[in-house]
Amino acid sequence: MRVGVEVGGTFTDLVAIEDGRVRVAKVPSVPARPDEGAMASLVAGAIDLATVDDLVHGSTVATNAILERKGAPVALLTTRGFRDVLFLQRHSRTQIYDLFYRKPVPVLARQDILEIDERMSAQGEVVQALDEAATAVQLAAFLGTGRYKSVAICLLNGYAEPRHERQLAALVSEKFPDLTVTCSADVTREFREYERTSTTTLAAYVQPVIDSYLRRFESQLGEQGFKGRFSIMQSNGGRLPVAGMSRNAITSLFSGPAAGVMGAVRQAGLSGHGDIITLDMGGTSTDVCLVADGKPNLSGETEVDGLPIRTPVLDIVTVGAGGGSICWQDDGGMLRVGPESAGADPGPACYGRGGARPAITDAHMVRGTIRAETFLGGKMNVDLSVASSVFNELSKNLDMSVEETADSAVRVADANIVGAIQIVSTERGRDPRDYVLVPFGGAGPLHAARVAEELGISTILVPPNAGVLSAYGLLASDFKQYETLTRRIPLAAGAAEQVRAVFADLQAQAVSSFQALGVPGELAISYSLDMRFIGQAFEIAVDIDGDALPNLDADDLLGLFNEAHNRVFAFGESGLNRAEIVSFRLGASAPPEVMPALNEGMDDTALRSESQIFDRGEWRKCLLLSRAAIAAEAAGIPGPALVEDGTSTIFVPHDWTATVDDQDNILLKWKD
Amino acid sequence: MAVNAVDQAVISQGLIAAAREMGVKLVRSAYSPVVREANDCSAALMDRYGNVVAQAELIPMQLGPIGATFRPCADLFPTDTLVEGDFYINNDPFQGGQHLQDVFLFSPIFFEGILVGFGATVAHHLDLGGGAAGLNPDASDVHQEGIIFPPSKYNMNHDWHGGPLERLIRANIRVPDQTIGDFNAQFAANGIGGRRVQDLCTRFGEGVVQEAMNELLDYSERRMRAAIREFPDGVYEGEDFLDDDGITDQPLRVRARVEIKGDSVIVDYEGTCDQVKSNVNCPYASTVAAGLSCVKSVLTSPDIPFNEGSKRPIEVRAPYGSLLNPRRPAPVRARMLSAYRAYNAVMKALAPSAPDKVIAAGFDSTEIIVLSQLKQDGYAIYLEILGGGYGASSHGDGCDAVDSPLSNCSNVPIEAMDMEYDYFRVEDYSLVPDSGGAGRHRGGLGFQRRYHILGDDVTFATYSDRFRLAPEGLFGGDDGVCASTQVLRGDQVIELPSKVSFPLQKGDILVARTGGGAGYGEPGERAAGDIERDLREGFMSRAGLQADAAE
Repeated sequence: MRVGVEVGGTFTDLVAIEDGRVRVAKVPSVPARPDEGAMASLVAGAIDLATVDDLVHGSTVATNAILERKGAPVALLTTRGFRDVLFLQRHSRTQIYDLFYRKPVPVLARQDILEIDERMSAQGEVVQALDEAATAVQLAAFLGTGRYKSVAICLLNGYAEPRHERQLAALVSEKFPDLTVTCSADVTREFREYERTSTTTLAAYVQPVIDSYLRRFESQLGEQGFKGRFSIMQSNGGRLPVAGMSRNAITSLFSGPAAGVMGAVRQAGLSGHGDIITLDMGGTSTDVCLVADGKPNLSGETEVDGLPIRTPVLDIVTVGAGGGSICWQDDGGMLRVGPESAGADPGPACYGRGGARPAITDAHMVRGTIRAETFLGGKMNVDLSVASSVFNELSKNLDMSVEETADSAVRVADANIVGAIQIVSTERGRDPRDYVLVPFGGAGPLHAARVAEELGISTILVPPNAGVLSAYGLLASDFKQYETLTRRIPLAAGAAEQVRAVFADLQAQAVSSFQALGVPGELAISYSLDMRFIGQAFEIAVDIDGDALPNLDADDLLGLFNEAHNRVFAFGESGLNRAEIVSFRLGASAPPEVMPALNEGMDDTALRSESQIFDRGEWRKCLLLSRAAIAAEAAGIPGPALVEDGTSTIFVPHDWTATVDDQDNILLKWKD
Repeated sequence: MAVNAVDQAVISQGLIAAAREMGVKLVRSAYSPVVREANDCSAALMDRYGNVVAQAELIPMQLGPIGATFRPCADLFPTDTLVEGDFYINNDPFQGGQHLQDVFLFSPIFFEGILVGFGATVAHHLDLGGGAAGLNPDASDVHQEGIIFPPSKYNMNHDWHGGPLERLIRANIRVPDQTIGDFNAQFAANGIGGRRVQDLCTRFGEGVVQEAMNELLDYSERRMRAAIREFPDGVYEGEDFLDDDGITDQPLRVRARVEIKGDSVIVDYEGTCDQVKSNVNCPYASTVAAGLSCVKSVLTSPDIPFNEGSKRPIEVRAPYGSLLNPRRPAPVRARMLSAYRAYNAVMKALAPSAPDKVIAAGFDSTEIIVLSQLKQDGYAIYLEILGGGYGASSHGDGCDAVDSPLSNCSNVPIEAMDMEYDYFRVEDYSLVPDSGGAGRHRGGLGFQRRYHILGDDVTFATYSDRFRLAPEGLFGGDDGVCASTQVLRGDQVIELPSKVSFPLQKGDILVARTGGGAGYGEPGERAAGDIERDLREGFMSRAGLQADAAE
């Protein structure tokens, strides 16, 4: 049996697949002790751990450790003269007119930072040597207090030549073998000292927390007879065997959203769609990600609580539009939705738990697109009259009926989501009309069609069990690791040979790392170069086809770069300067031995009735359907229709037609 | 034609997102460190009349008066004569520009042959010629500061891409590859803005987009007026001083009279000193930006989109021939310093009536550091803009080591400098303990940089302020600590003034220390826990604490 357990902020989801049968469970999370929620989900799913071969886990442990400042006491060793890098940050503000501006707060205090006499140059040459004897004395005094559990080492220009970092790490480990040591060179080898120091410090800060969490979790699993493989989801969209977390646990940030994307990639791939935009809409926010040819876009940086983390992560853009997002009018009269959210508690007004301001879920109840009888499978009591009454004041101020106000609020929420999709598509030089929209999460399929219309997208694919797609994505994800390196190489004669040499080194590292982790099977390798015109500071990632790599020359590389630059900046003639390579990224991945499917064991009861919805300014008659009822109509069913599908509701507006394909995905097609 | 509420919200968001994207792409495709690392640039979308509709929130100073920089162009070359590929350019301080280095470019946006708006960008250019590389602190008129682009119209196909304008610029500046690259980044950003506006026109129709732009201006104006109305009517006065003009030791007075009446504000700088011979003169457009930014920051919510509509309720006046509205051909390069005092004077005027909305004076200066070297294959220029500590407020301590309020430049990473420059190395970049003024809430700390000079014939040029006159504490708070610049040469310590050019020698250590912000409220009221934390983390020393207590 294969089991995915995804611990989210509110709920812990489980998907178990055995012999083609899918089991799903949802239990409340225990935020202070995520493993309790995870274990509870195993109980709720009636999982016999002795029969589980493959268990994949995603959690918010790393993210929460940072947000709640509950990481390990961490010390930072850095180059003499630079102990304040984490406090100085980048000297700019994120809010330009805010007089009371505060910088993001680092996870350690100023006295936790020790300066070491040494200096490397940007070319990796020693400017000032590290005096090991003197440094050892310094370290003994600083770390001997016993105050720290973890040590971060980030030296200036350490990305170019990590020798001094390695020397320091050895000195620390020799004297203090119990301390966790994290070198910047093992976490991110890219220039810009603030971002690299921040990443290294956060990695060191969460490492002991993840270690002890996973040890505790593993031993509980062991007690219950688990003998299978235990893997952990990462923000890069791949998993690693638990042993892989012992070096760089910071990669386990944001694993939930990444798992959802991978579930969508897998499920859309079964129906032959590789170019997709994912739309994961939950209670407080919506995550979107663009996937080209089955490969999600990557970004080199993310942040938690304003603190930057340089590591390859899926390029997921989040916008504050979810079922709990508050609808309001600002002091200039504009109708706004979010980012404030009613959250899970009190939740939308219709929950009857004291929510007094209208939320998007309330708006859907007023419009009839969420029905009290079937909300969350009918297991939750919601009250239409309350949902309606909280819109009274807003509708009076806007001079619209309550239905019109609710309808307008949903459209504003749609516009917020459209804005997020434009960031991952048009702003990155991709035309959204070339993509299939794949909505999931509780509310995604309810908004997808209208969002698609705004973007000119004409096909939507709704996976089965769309409400628990993230947990499924854990099982569907490959084993994956990235190796990165900053090395500047101008695009001149001989550049291609150097590129091949660097990639060969990185590949050898990746292969030996996977072997050490016991990952089976053939590795798939992907190559990407961060390039820029000489003199620019920001690089563009250029994917390099592995088959073409052996025969590429410098002109080919330049051609690929020009093409990518034009796509993003629409101004290729700025090539007055020569181009250079700045960083290398090599991805190694191996698929799981068995790729389970999500579609078996679906409910096949065909239900069909009628209801009323308020959409685009008028009440319309609308079909109410179950998934099986659509499958029964080969020609498909024209909207308006609502498909109530257990974990989510799908809205099919007029001008759209719904069909079910042979992978049990529901396809919506827009009549142009 | 009224636009419905939902379309209005969608189009407004689309315009704001487009302006933001312009800013991102401008930074990301630029070449000079001052734009690509420090982000000294701004971007905006304008309607067809040249009203700023939406802006990328980068540098308040550059954004305030973009409309005023546009208008002289349109007056000379009417918008109805524009064709595809045309652009306006302007950096003339006496015709709506600021200092020469900030070059404004405006590209018309057409939809189906109809002019629907403009993409506008401004970037601080590393070197535009003039009497010295990067910065000429000794300029006695504007002509010695660089090349002037009077309000003009050119065409991309005819004049750029190797055409006469590009060739003329290239021949008159010191680092042409970087500067022309930055111009291209501006054009690219304008083009992106244009494309996004065209997309909106395709979806909603050109007429609806025009209406939505108008409504967005009215919307910001309504919100600004609502916020101003909350403030008690009255006439408020404040003043502040620059240390000097860099030639004499005489402090320069900046005085503001702020009149709030109903839902509008008049800021009048009558009583400010006359213009001076050095480069601290502040062109009128910069003065307007300073006054507007302060009023907006103090009186209104950061959530109000800043555009031409939000400026309507505020009028800024400055006497012609004064420091804040100089006559041609006054040098103006260091105009930020006077602009900051114009900002401080308004802040001080409003403080007694809005104690919870203002902050104490901060370092509030732009300290510019230029290190240049003439090499065999041309000039190398390093230019960076340093802020310092923010003033404290009733809400908390002032922010440490951050760019000053009218600007928002990032630092250039030390590792980027190490890659780029071989004639100096930064060996220390740290907070300056005890530099924030004590108070119930303390001022933000300044910071210091030590530059080790590794080559011969390196020239240092700078302008800064608050070297002699400290930022004043508010409601009993202490003043912030002044800035300083020193050169360590062997056993010698050479103290430099705030506005100077100075030849350096190989082996010199240049120490630039920026100032801290002032405190807010009586130091005796500071929470014991906050004092304890400052001592523990070394933000303050025991000695510093005792010195405060002895005062």
